[in-house]
Amino acid sequence: MLAFLPEVVLLATALVIFLLDVVGERRLEVLGGIAVAGLLASLALVLADLGFAPLAALRTLPAADVDLIPATSALFAFTSLGLAFEAIFLTAALLVALASLSRPSGEKGAAVFFGLLLIATLGMTTAAIAADLIFLLLAVEVVGISTYLLVGYPRRDPRGLEAAMKFYIVGALSTALSFFGASLLFGAYGSTNLVILSQATGSVGYPALALAGYALLIAGLGFKLTIVPFHAWAVDVYDGAPTDVSAFLAGGSKKVGLVAFFLLFIGPVSLIVVRPVACVGGVCPTAFDFAPTLQLALGILAVLTMTVGNVLALLQREMKRMLAYSSISQAGYMLLGIAVGTAPALAGATFQVLAHVFMKSGAFLVVAGVAGLGVGPLIEDWRGLGQRRPVLATAFALMLLSLAGIPLTVGFLSKFVLFSAAVNAQGYFVWLAVAGVLNSALSVFYYARVLKVMYVDPSPAEIPAPPALPFGGIGYGRAAAIALVVIAIVALGVDPQPVLGPLQSAANHFVLTGP
Amino acid sequence: MSAIPPVDFLALSAILLGIGLFGILTRRNFILLLISIEIAMNAAILNFVVFAAYSGTGGGIGGQAAAVVLVGLAATEVAVGLAIVLALNRVRGSINVAEATTLRQ
Repeated sequence: MLAFLPEVVLLATALVIFLLDVVGERRLEVLGGIAVAGLLASLALVLADLGFAPLAALRTLPAADVDLIPATSALFAFTSLGLAFEAIFLTAALLVALASLSRPSGEKGAAVFFGLLLIATLGMTTAAIAADLIFLLLAVEVVGISTYLLVGYPRRDPRGLEAAMKFYIVGALSTALSFFGASLLFGAYGSTNLVILSQATGSVGYPALALAGYALLIAGLGFKLTIVPFHAWAVDVYDGAPTDVSAFLAGGSKKVGLVAFFLLFIGPVSLIVVRPVACVGGVCPTAFDFAPTLQLALGILAVLTMTVGNVLALLQREMKRMLAYSSISQAGYMLLGIAVGTAPALAGATFQVLAHVFMKSGAFLVVAGVAGLGVGPLIEDWRGLGQRRPVLATAFALMLLSLAGIPLTVGFLSKFVLFSAAVNAQGYFVWLAVAGVLNSALSVFYYARVLKVMYVDPSPAEIPAPPALPFGGIGYGRAAAIALVVIAIVALGVDPQPVLGPLQSAANHFVLTGP
Repeated sequence: MSAIPPVDFLALSAILLGIGLFGILTRRNFILLLISIEIAMNAAILNFVVFAAYSGTGGGIGGQAAAVVLVGLAATEVAVGLAIVLALNRVRGSINVAEATTLRQ
């Protein structure tokens, strides 16, 4: 089981952190440093498994074991797309852990924060390699349970606890719906293996039962991915949670819902992808095919999600709530990739996830840093930041421009790849792309408003003194995380090919082989 | 076992899910909410057991395993829920969900 080394490293690091807490080592810098080291090691192992040449010596998963069609009894399968998602998730966790090194060092609960962050990341990476529905939903649950606790970990903060309570209720509801849907699929086809499920979408079994099961799964996992109409919780939770945790929720953990959609709906003989051959593995498509129905449903949900998210973001006065609604609208773009379901669309959606990790985590991490400087929660509280803190304001402006999809940023390219894949798929997908472009234009308004507040409006008369941390109160860790985000946004915006190329080939393999 | 048609069990689990969802949406006391969540989870567990029992030889093991795992999962979830209730009660002195309205202003 050497192939599970990245996951084992995460688990071991989390256990070390919890044990250190028990024996009395509670310094934030020490525990955080261990967490960052564990995440870096895990990320290096995953990159090596992906075939990243400079790390070839670390490779534990032979290339021959990647991208095979999994057996019908398999619980997990290593696909290059799954490994790519692991790398993306680890990057998100790494950014958050790095920035959290700059949290107030007297703060209690460092072990809880970093330990749960690692456990949640473990759940996310495990979900990405699932080949069985129960395995997948359990991994999603590991993420869910650890993030409920992450949101409420400052145990004296009523706002955080209220957010944790709301998150918990919605999460438990979504769990019940997902597992009920899974049980119906098990009843319809006698198995929960994703390969069997995707092959069985003919007239075999009990199609009505299966369709009800898929509908419940879309609802249950849609809560995780904040799809409209299952999005309402997200804004309160991102608003009430500690901002560094919001960065992880919006930038990282909600994408686990997207991975679940990938695995459920797209594969070698999937519900959605138009198959390259008529019959695969002796199973041929039959008259009763879910694909068009599910595709249309996901397409409608995608357009609804991006539109509602953008329109409500326009109306927000608080920075975190505005970013939360913008995060909902971004989930719509990713869902569009699944509705289209072709390999280029998958690559586009995955690239969009990567871009979103940098843009959204980065934005929340800046908000957390700026809150530490004594700036209030409202957007207008940021006035004059461009003159007072030019570097920080420029970094934030760059993230917002990338979210809006301005050229030369990664946000532009990811949307471009996604929308052109939708246009190439023809049919009503062209209209999905048009809706996406119109939504991007709409989103420019609320991002531009923040830029205006930062650069045009004058500073408030009284400015509280920043805390005694390096980089003018930001701290080393947070400054490093923000710098990484800025570099990634610009570098991938100028030349995406080093990342986009492997993603495209991974998506091609995934469509053909599985799980 | 075969005397009772499987449809009856499915109806029961659908009713359980309905009761659970209704409770989650209407209850304002967090403890009653936790009970509703448990009822909804048990609907899924019952489904797995029923389908496993009626699936004939060999196919049922997966369903039984899923049911056992889900029992453990449901217990974990309630433990986390109770932890949140305790912390909330300490800070706020109330576990009424309707009173938690600091957010959304």
